[in-house]
Amino acid sequence: MKSTTTRRDFIRKLGISGAAANLVLTLPSLGGEASGQSKQRVVFVFSPNGVIPKHFWPDDEGEKFELKRILEPLAPFKDQLLTLRGIDNRIKGDGDGHMRGIGCLLTGVELFPGDVQGGSDTPAGWSMGISIDQHLSNKLQANTETQTRFGSLEFGVMVPDRADTWTRWSYAGPNQPVAPISDPYQMFKKLYGQVHNRAMLASVLDDLSEDFKKIERQVSNEDRRMLQQHVDLVRAVEKELQAELKQGDSPQSESETATASHAVPQLPPNVQEENDNMPQISRMQTDLLVNSLMSDFTRIATMQITNSVGNPRMRWLDIDEGHHTISHEPDSNEDAYEQLIKINTWYSEQVAYMAKKLKETPEPNGDGNMLDHTTIIWTNELGKGNSHTRNSIPFVMIGGGLGFKMGRSLNYDHQPHNRLLLSITEAMGHPEKTFGNPDYCGDGSLTGLS
Amino acid sequence: MKRPPQQRSRHLSETQNHEQQRCFRYDSVVCCSLLVIHFSMILLDSHNATQADDTAAGSTEVSIAGEPTTEQGGGQQDKKRREHGATIYQQSCQSCHGASGQGTREAFDRPLVGDLSISGLSKLISKTMPEDDPDACVGDNAAAVAAYIHASFYSKAARVRNRPPRIALSRLTGEQLRQSIADLFGHFMKPSVTTDARGVKADYYNGTSKKTEEKRIERIDDVIDFDFGKESPGKEIDPKSYLIHWQGSLKVNRTGRYEIVLRSTCSCMMDFGSDRRELFNNHVQSEGREEFRRSLHLTAGRAYPFEISLYQRKRKTEQPPAKISLSWVPPGGTQEVIPKRHLIPERLAGTFPLQAKLPPDDRSYGYERGTSVSRQWDQSTTESAIEFAEIAIDELYPSFRRNNRKVSDENRNQLRSFLNEIVEVAFRGKLADSTRKLYVDQQIDLSEDDGEAIRRVLLLTLKSPRFLYPTLDSDRSRSQRAANRLALVLFDSLPSDAWLVNAANKNQLQTDKQLTNAAKRMVDNYRTQAKTLAFLHEWLDLKTTEEIAKDKDKFPEFDADLVQDLRQSMDCFLEDLLESESSDFRQLLQADWSYTTKRLENYYGSAWSYADPEKGETELAPSRQDSNIHVGVLTHPLLMSNLSYHRNTSPIHRGVFLTLRTLGRVLRPPNASFTPLSPDLHPELTTRERVQLQTGEVNCQACHQQINSLGFALEQFDATGRFRSTERKKNIDTTGSYRERSGTEVNFDGARELADYLAESKDCHLAFVESAFEHFVKQPIAAFGSETAEKLTQSFRDSGFNIRELLVTIAVTASRQPLPDAKKP
Repeated sequence: MKSTTTRRDFIRKLGISGAAANLVLTLPSLGGEASGQSKQRVVFVFSPNGVIPKHFWPDDEGEKFELKRILEPLAPFKDQLLTLRGIDNRIKGDGDGHMRGIGCLLTGVELFPGDVQGGSDTPAGWSMGISIDQHLSNKLQANTETQTRFGSLEFGVMVPDRADTWTRWSYAGPNQPVAPISDPYQMFKKLYGQVHNRAMLASVLDDLSEDFKKIERQVSNEDRRMLQQHVDLVRAVEKELQAELKQGDSPQSESETATASHAVPQLPPNVQEENDNMPQISRMQTDLLVNSLMSDFTRIATMQITNSVGNPRMRWLDIDEGHHTISHEPDSNEDAYEQLIKINTWYSEQVAYMAKKLKETPEPNGDGNMLDHTTIIWTNELGKGNSHTRNSIPFVMIGGGLGFKMGRSLNYDHQPHNRLLLSITEAMGHPEKTFGNPDYCGDGSLTGLS
Repeated sequence: MKRPPQQRSRHLSETQNHEQQRCFRYDSVVCCSLLVIHFSMILLDSHNATQADDTAAGSTEVSIAGEPTTEQGGGQQDKKRREHGATIYQQSCQSCHGASGQGTREAFDRPLVGDLSISGLSKLISKTMPEDDPDACVGDNAAAVAAYIHASFYSKAARVRNRPPRIALSRLTGEQLRQSIADLFGHFMKPSVTTDARGVKADYYNGTSKKTEEKRIERIDDVIDFDFGKESPGKEIDPKSYLIHWQGSLKVNRTGRYEIVLRSTCSCMMDFGSDRRELFNNHVQSEGREEFRRSLHLTAGRAYPFEISLYQRKRKTEQPPAKISLSWVPPGGTQEVIPKRHLIPERLAGTFPLQAKLPPDDRSYGYERGTSVSRQWDQSTTESAIEFAEIAIDELYPSFRRNNRKVSDENRNQLRSFLNEIVEVAFRGKLADSTRKLYVDQQIDLSEDDGEAIRRVLLLTLKSPRFLYPTLDSDRSRSQRAANRLALVLFDSLPSDAWLVNAANKNQLQTDKQLTNAAKRMVDNYRTQAKTLAFLHEWLDLKTTEEIAKDKDKFPEFDADLVQDLRQSMDCFLEDLLESESSDFRQLLQADWSYTTKRLENYYGSAWSYADPEKGETELAPSRQDSNIHVGVLTHPLLMSNLSYHRNTSPIHRGVFLTLRTLGRVLRPPNASFTPLSPDLHPELTTRERVQLQTGEVNCQACHQQINSLGFALEQFDATGRFRSTERKKNIDTTGSYRERSGTEVNFDGARELADYLAESKDCHLAFVESAFEHFVKQPIAAFGSETAEKLTQSFRDSGFNIRELLVTIAVTASRQPLPDAKKP
């Protein structure tokens, strides 16, 4: 095991992960494959502060449409793309526009009365209901065929380290916000920590038994017996670990290993959670996300880029001021207007990168690529930043996970977004009569998606 | 050697007693015989290997007329007598008892060991042996056999001679691992301090920001349990907008799982252990979300700093009435507001409680020992190492970098010196070049990422025998070895406090004076206090009080809350005693008061009312004095109910407890397993009479003569420890007696007289010193010289039975011993 030396080597060793990790960690296995049914996955992506509608929404409806500037990065996936204009977040009640924008986005229900005051509206607390991602996770976990190790994973990119209505969009239930993990190393630990530690242990034990020999000289024969027992134990564990790791490297499973080694992304070392590292962190998190979908650690994920009122300074785009600050500028401020297009285009690029990675990855034990079986739903807390409107919330879908008819631009006439949430759970095989506030669910799921 | 539980339960399933079946715990000790097996095995084992007491080689034995006074030496006549005894033994005894008294599987499978004197033994043989023909060996013959076996293998002294005790190599026990890791963390924090102040520091602000000019109240709150409603919490504070900031430390005296419960109707935040560790985040007040719970494994002898902020925020909408409380569920206890005596009004240095599950250690010798390794244990050391590595990455390394900002980071120098320091503390001393290369440099070179490097180094280090075997230090300086032992004995840990590390480095722990000064400095530390409390729990057999429960019909008010009060009353008394100037051991047996609560008074009567009713106490406070009802810890209801059945007292349990633990005597295992006579079958008999009826047989009397007559003295305290003067309408007979090791017979009547006797009893003192030594040092006392026990007992007596001074002497004794057998080829 002396060869398991560098981080790189280690990660190579983790080539065992996809297949053997399940074995090692005695995880629930990949149920979907057994039933022969194709997997369905959904990833929700959040970006803050609304968009510039004019440069976001396609002008034409139907199958023939042109992508505007902000959506341009998604051009390679145009035939797998669906834009949904005219879907409104109608949830009223306590909380300011931003709070309800993020807190009701995936839940479709009001916020509890509380003491968090923002803007000029009434203060509020947490959401009164479960969010759609957690709802789907519960449904999938309840069935052995769709059960996965985590059920859902919550990624964050530069989400501030504080828990409030503006920093949470996923809820396990009323008053139960779910914190996203923004630190890629922490996420890595969650996903691969156990395998990782075993591999590290294997590489360390050899050194340890060497040192035992030196120490044995210090003690009497009688005491040496105890040390001997101890070192035998260490050797036995070492042997087992070696066997375990070898299994992952064996030629018989070469094809699996090839896929699997691809499954464990290689994180660059020592990346701090700092504003300027945001592009790199976004990459790292996306890589981890795609790879955990591939290993079937989960079929539901959220990726929350910053937070409601998120204020990253995109210096890499030569924009020094924070996003939220700029988003309040009137449309007449040409510089700000242009900057907001650039900023949103950058978010679009992040979505495109995720789509690209999914498309490049063959569906494990299935047909086509992973994007064919995954739908990314990119959305936003607001329709437009400076007006704080929650009409025409950006909803852009990419990929075939939900089985909707893609390659279209649709325009609904002010439909409550609860109906879209109903469509999503229905497409995942778990239709519901209502989701969130029933008042907005009267007409059921949206028509015309499939 | 401890009897496995399944064996016990099997035995029980064979019994018919209903009382037993109702409650397993009591079942397991119901039968006297069983208890004796269990306890005496513990004792026999330890004595096998270790004890040297009054019958140490060459010392005097009780003499009977015409008998020699020494067992080993003596004249030609003695020698002849023993030879004669040997011949008889080989002819008549060996077939059942084995050549050296080890027993035989077919006939008598227990070793022939005990603490009867030659004369006692001789009488017993005369009366009972050989079993098939007791008249075959009497008089001089019996005396000869007694002399022979006593000298050869029966007595403690003989056993010590046959198998001289030694200091065995031991790994860290579970508790020692927890403590060592806590100190490894603590090494990088401010030095720990102790304080007598209790409560929580509180700052009340008008408005919700921490502006000095808006601070209206600064005070110490006893506990956190407030219901302000819609009122202002204090003068000049806007009832609609305020901030309360509490700071303190939670003092934990027992290792175990605690649940922390914060309840608040307002926005609130709490961190715990360090300011980087958020325990509860309720920054957002949201209707209906008012209770926050977290379960944590906490380590004894540590104070965990915490901080709570409560915000009542002004808003356009209706404000909820403000309420907040900080509670806990201590191990095995019930939920309560965290009492004042566990709160320190100061944020002390950061503390790390290891959460990893560690397997229990061997306790067959009466104290925990790390003398075996197992798969499960090995796995737990890995988990502990990984857990510690994470906290080192999250907290220790960033703070180390902040403190060493000016040091060059070339060649990852900061990381290197951080890891070097941590490994030095873990390995208890400076690193040799080759060790540093292996444990630090080589591992850093293998990991590009700092976090990875820390993980590798700590995994290797905390799994290394250099860390896990604290006394593998024959290559260290004398002072370093002394420091290692002082920390191990008093803290169950490693030397990490800067002053101790420095003293070791400067080789200033060589003379007895230096050692004594160091030990004195350590003995008042929370860590030693907690270890002492754990020892007293052990000594009082109170390890399992979580399970005390009584018959609901007979004692309806004896519930979990009452038991929790009893445990606190006991702990508070013990802590008080230990912290008092004289820390006088005799008070443990003789104090005529206790700590009480209203609930205890209601149940136990007026002797349990507050000493000072004027004070209007609602919390734990001293009770009235009453020398018949409060007899030190001896008649404390926690102890009394622990040593009782579900419905009735058990003089046998109490007697066995007094014989083994308090007086340090040895009991032979009983002849067979017995089910106690059911009280229902003998409605006319008192408990005393019933016990006498059952144990009246000659064979039983060899031990029960002693057991019963000690236990009967406590009969006025019922199964819940409540005082009574009659049972079944008869006056309770509390007369009893005890035959000392020296042979003297002592009589007493009732708990008070018994306690007064014990407080002055040499047997009792010796037993306490021996148990204390072995609990603290975790090695047999005889391994430190056959006279050590006697000497320590003498100095204990000379100090006025000062427990803290005893601990200092124990620590010094254990620290000046060189590692035996070191460097033997």
